[in-house]
Parts: sequence; C-alpha cells; structure tokens
Amino acid sequence: MKRFDCLKLIAAEAKDALVVSSAGAMTLEWNVLRPSDGNFRVRTLGLCSSIALGMALGLPQRKIIALDGDGSLLMNLCSLPTIARMQPGNLLHIVFDNEVYEASGSKKTATACGTDLVGVARAAGIKKAMWANTIDGFAQAVSSAMTADDLCFVGAKVTAERTDVPPYPIDEVENKYRFIRYVEKTEQIAIIKTNLPASYA
Amino acid sequence: MSADEAATTIVGGLKQAGINLVVTLPDINLAQLLRAVEDDPDILHVPLCREEEGIGICAGAYLVGKKCAAIMQNGGFFNSNNAIVSTLLQYQIPLLLFIYYAGDIGDRTFSTSGSMTEPVLQALGVRYYVMRETSDAPELIKRAQILAEDAKRPVALLLTKEVLGRRAALKSL
Repeated sequence: MKRFDCLKLIAAEAKDALVVSSAGAMTLEWNVLRPSDGNFRVRTLGLCSSIALGMALGLPQRKIIALDGDGSLLMNLCSLPTIARMQPGNLLHIVFDNEVYEASGSKKTATACGTDLVGVARAAGIKKAMWANTIDGFAQAVSSAMTADDLCFVGAKVTAERTDVPPYPIDEVENKYRFIRYVEKTEQIAIIKTNLPASYA
Repeated sequence: MSADEAATTIVGGLKQAGINLVVTLPDINLAQLLRAVEDDPDILHVPLCREEEGIGICAGAYLVGKKCAAIMQNGGFFNSNNAIVSTLLQYQIPLLLFIYYAGDIGDRTFSTSGSMTEPVLQALGVRYYVMRETSDAPELIKRAQILAEDAKRPVALLLTKEVLGRRAALKSL
C-alpha cells in the first residue's frame, strides 16, 4: 500500500477531527490532503501518540486521530499501555509501518525484523487493534473507527516512499496558536486568556 | 506535619491554581501526594509508564484547554528532557513540573541526581523554586502557574522531603 493513498481515505472520513501527525514526510502529505488549523505537527520523535492521548482526554467529545509511524511508536512504546489504561473512546491511533526511519536515511526499524506493532498494541491492552492489509480493508477500518465510540488502533504496512508535496507552511509556534484558536472556535471555549493591565483594575 | 496533611495542602494548591489534569510516576516519597491526586474527583489523573510520555500528554491536553501538572522524581525529569526541549520549549507550551528532589541536602541516596537537578533546569532556562515549607506551597503553586501561563514555558517546583511531610511507615501504605 502507499501511505499517500491511505491518507486520502482518512481525509475523506476525518471531518472536523483533530489530527496529530508524527515528525516526517507524512505530515507534509497529510497537510496537503487536509489543510486545516485542526492539524498539529509533532516534532519530538515518539510523542505523537502521547500528545494525541492528551487531546483525547482533554476533549472527550471530539474525535482525535493520531497519524503515527513505526520509528516513532517504537521510541515511545510505553504510550500503548498508558493509552490502554485510560481507554479514550474518541482516539483513533493509526500507524503507517514502512519498516524504516524514512526521514533519517531509511535505516531499518525493528518492525523490519519481526516486531508486530499491532501485536504489541493488543498485548498492551488495546482490544480493537488490527492490521489493514489492503486499501479496501484500510478504508473499512478507518470508516468504522470514525463512527465507533471506542479506542481503536489500525496498523498499515506501507511502501517506503514519499509523495512530492510542498514543505510545511508554518512553524511550531504558529501551529500551536492556530490549533488552539481553531479548538476555541469550534468548541466555543477560551483556552488562552489575556488579562487587562493592572491599571485597569 | 504528616505526609497526608502535606499532600492535602499541595493538592489544594493545585486546585486553586486551576490544575485539572495531572500525570504522575511514583516515587516512595511521593506516595501520599499521588494518592491524594488519584482520590480527587476534580483532577483527571493519568498514571504514566515513563515520564517523557507525560510531557506529551500534558502538551496535548493544554492545546485543547486543560491546565496540567506533571509529578515525578528528578530521574524522571532527566528522562523527559527531549520532550521538554522539542515540544514544550519549541512550541512555547506552559506546564507545571513538580520534581521530587532526590539527592537533596541531607538525603542519603541519589546525590549525583541531586547535584545535576538545578544545573539541568538552569541549562534549559526553566525557572524553578525549591519548596521547603508546606504552608507556602499553595501560594507558590498559584504563582508558578501564573508565571508558566504568562511566559508560556514550563516552570518547576522542587519537592523536598520537608515540604512533603513526615511519611507513614511503609507497611501502612
């Protein structure tokens, strides 16, 4: 499977879901397919699943999608038992497993040598964890996870290739502000408050 | 003051500061505090497997409107450094870090960790305050949260044995 084709299917289903994506080319591809202030790009390798868990716990009424990679998840495997423990029913965790550290010279990851990330997720306590082996199977898994109210983990083996897309258009701080303002607007809440100067008091 | 009373005072301070999500990883000296966090119905408690994931959880929760704190030993703070640098500092995300000061003056263990704690915080540019008096804790926590939100950076409060109170015998835990 091609990651870009899978991302297209997610974009068709995502609606207003908040999407956290791991460091690497996938984020650029996703941003082209679903440009939105509801996208958050992760810069710390491994932290995608944990940031998504924090969002899912903080906003339980909103669907949160984590777009993770094998190298990223392998670095933060302990996020899986924590996610399983908290059981956020609004979290869909998708892992694109291309078996290499794509952004770092394409050296093999442990999944190229037998590690089964869906098996790890299931053993960690995530009951709804499955591999999608075909593009149709992937479409079906994402579609049913988007309407379900329980925690879902989908693994997809993809080829190690990237689609030619433009660079990410904003830096980290702008990403943060745009994301927060988007959440404030769509949830009708105030997150960053500013105070009147002391002389007004 | 007993550790239970100290824990109640500190958790009261957290709530006054508006904190409503707390990630933790146990240390024996934090046992009563963590129990008080877990028992509080107004605080969403997330027990961690490793401290660095907690930085990510707090960052994500902050982005959707939660006010968060992370409670850990200084060893866990060392574990968390990459996330503190490339997520909290890079994105300018506030977070209260409660760091148990293992290897503090008078401690018989972890003197190396104790000697590195303040220098690492200084190197990161993370402002910190050493808490010694339990009665000061609520006011310090409130001020630290104001600073974190205003500066949009993490702020650390170092939890010493004194501030955490006298611990009950192990068998009663």
